[in-house]
Amino acid sequence: MTNFTKLLRAGVAALAITAAAGTAHAQVDVPLIESGSSLLYPLFNLWVGAYSASHAGADITTTSTGSGAGIAQSIKGLVQIGASDAYLSDTLAKDHPTVLSIPLAISSQAVNYNLPGVGSLNLSGPILAGIYEGKITQWNDPAIAAANPGVSLPNHVIVPIHRLDGSGDTFIFTQYLAASDAGWASTMHYGTAVSWPPISGEVGAKGNSGMLSALGNNPYGIAYIGISFSDKVKAAGLGQAALLNKAGQYVLPTTANISAAAESVANSTPADERISMIFADGPTAYPIVNYEYAIVDSQQPAPAIAEAIRDFLGWCITEGNDPSFLNAVHFLPLPPAVVTLSQAQIAKIQ
Amino acid sequence: MKLRPFRLTVLCLSLMIPAALVAVVLFLVVYSGQAMVFNGLHFLTDVTWNLGDLYDDPVVVKGIQVPAGAEYGILAFIVGTLASSFLAIIIAVPLSVGTAIFLAEAVPEIERATWRHFPWLPPLRPALAMLVELVAVVPSVVFGLWGIAVLIPFIGHHISPTGSGYGLLAAAIVLALMITPIIASTLFDALCQVPKENRESAFALGSTHFEVVTKAMMPMVRATLIGGIVLALGRALGETMAVLMVSGGGSNILPHSLFSPISTIASFIVGQLDSAEADPTNMSVRALSEVALVLFLITLAVNAAAKLLSSGALNVRKRQ
Repeated sequence: MTNFTKLLRAGVAALAITAAAGTAHAQVDVPLIESGSSLLYPLFNLWVGAYSASHAGADITTTSTGSGAGIAQSIKGLVQIGASDAYLSDTLAKDHPTVLSIPLAISSQAVNYNLPGVGSLNLSGPILAGIYEGKITQWNDPAIAAANPGVSLPNHVIVPIHRLDGSGDTFIFTQYLAASDAGWASTMHYGTAVSWPPISGEVGAKGNSGMLSALGNNPYGIAYIGISFSDKVKAAGLGQAALLNKAGQYVLPTTANISAAAESVANSTPADERISMIFADGPTAYPIVNYEYAIVDSQQPAPAIAEAIRDFLGWCITEGNDPSFLNAVHFLPLPPAVVTLSQAQIAKIQ
Repeated sequence: MKLRPFRLTVLCLSLMIPAALVAVVLFLVVYSGQAMVFNGLHFLTDVTWNLGDLYDDPVVVKGIQVPAGAEYGILAFIVGTLASSFLAIIIAVPLSVGTAIFLAEAVPEIERATWRHFPWLPPLRPALAMLVELVAVVPSVVFGLWGIAVLIPFIGHHISPTGSGYGLLAAAIVLALMITPIIASTLFDALCQVPKENRESAFALGSTHFEVVTKAMMPMVRATLIGGIVLALGRALGETMAVLMVSGGGSNILPHSLFSPISTIASFIVGQLDSAEADPTNMSVRALSEVALVLFLITLAVNAAAKLLSSGALNVRKRQ
């Protein structure tokens, strides 16, 4: 509830600011539809509210359908902007060369736990892979104990909690496991839905809110939850694990650590911007960080539609990357080098 | 022949519904054709469901492009669907038979005994009957929320040996609550229509109230009761959202206890569809269509059974 009021407040503030600025832009009167990622949906609502207030004639509808649906509908031309937590796969990019993956903001994910009496916890990719494969079943397993010297771990069965609906969170979580654990990479791969090995006592939950209540309902549980829920996770008294990064440090998903990961990937981001930020280099880089994408076909049926998309997306990655929007969902702005790349991609839409 | 516009219009309108049904079935069969070829009968007998690696190059199996490592077996979901629905029926039938008998037989007595002193009170029976029917129209997501907020912590803390409330039992209880009003209101209506003479003759023969209900009234409404149960079963088999929220979403394993996480066919389709849409070969969506076809056939069989039973075609024996 507090998060919602915060969102609302940020939205109202943003509206007031942009309305006061009263910038005059080229008038576009073309209806656009945005559809896809439920993680991006609250942010798109803030953006569209503020953008419509300052751009007379803007007509943008937002819908929350899921990243996979966002990609599919954008490719089929059913929506103009598909929102996705994941970039286009190589095969899809090859089959649909005109469809662009344009980063709009940076998101992250926390690994949370429900352990009464344990204040801090270090975890690594191989440990998490072991837990979700059913090879590590007890909290006081030697592998977990070795990563947590001085922490008294309970002698209790671990309850692994995963998403049962297709999710960008599952995508980046399994990508972290695949990047840091060779066994997971060869047997489980990564994706928005994976074939979870059966583990006694495991729980599947729907949506980030379902993950949160499942973790709250299951003492000795562990779950991966999108960073935009971190306020609610904290309010529920659940712990946030420090994860082992590529440099061998245990790091928490703080703003500084997420930025460190984003900065380290910014310069190696290719022109088509399809790159994973998971398990990035850098001594303090948090390992589960990702770009949030707009999936857009660069060949639009009419110049007016293309102009409307260009104008809106261009606004999103500049003025829309202002903390007054992003803080409400705990996203981070794109680094300047990436803004330039995204602008170059947006310019291709015609 | 004179063309009658009204008759023609009505004919066209009435053909729309069967046409829509045929169109849906045709679509499912044609669309899932490739998946049927790829899966064969293993589809129904395998427990492992794996969309495969959607981010790697597809491979060609039996001349069909599929994601690497793709494997589609739905036995666990068929078992999950049937187990949760039948368990729900087992919970719901005593509950709804009790409710219907209470409404039909006990409430009038309470009214006679109490309302005499308070004639200004509104009649109790229609109000209670309406309440029961009201439960039937509560959206399923509301039951799901109640399940997450109340039922799951209760099962987890007080009943389940594993400490987790999500699973077969939670799904069955939520389903049972959803279908109880269907059975109860059907049965209540039937009990009200039992001829007064039958009831009163039984009383005149010296039967107790219990004997009147069990020996004179229930046998007359048996066919209706069976029809109501089968209709409720149809609802339970297809229920999606509430089950998705409390079932624990088990996959790749057959449920082995009341507390095992399960997936039902309907909830599984919803959970997987978004990821399937990102499959460049489209095989995942085709496989899900085949899953939908199986669910369609199961519910079709249940509804056909309901029609047969309640029309008396199977000759449910009436007591002499």
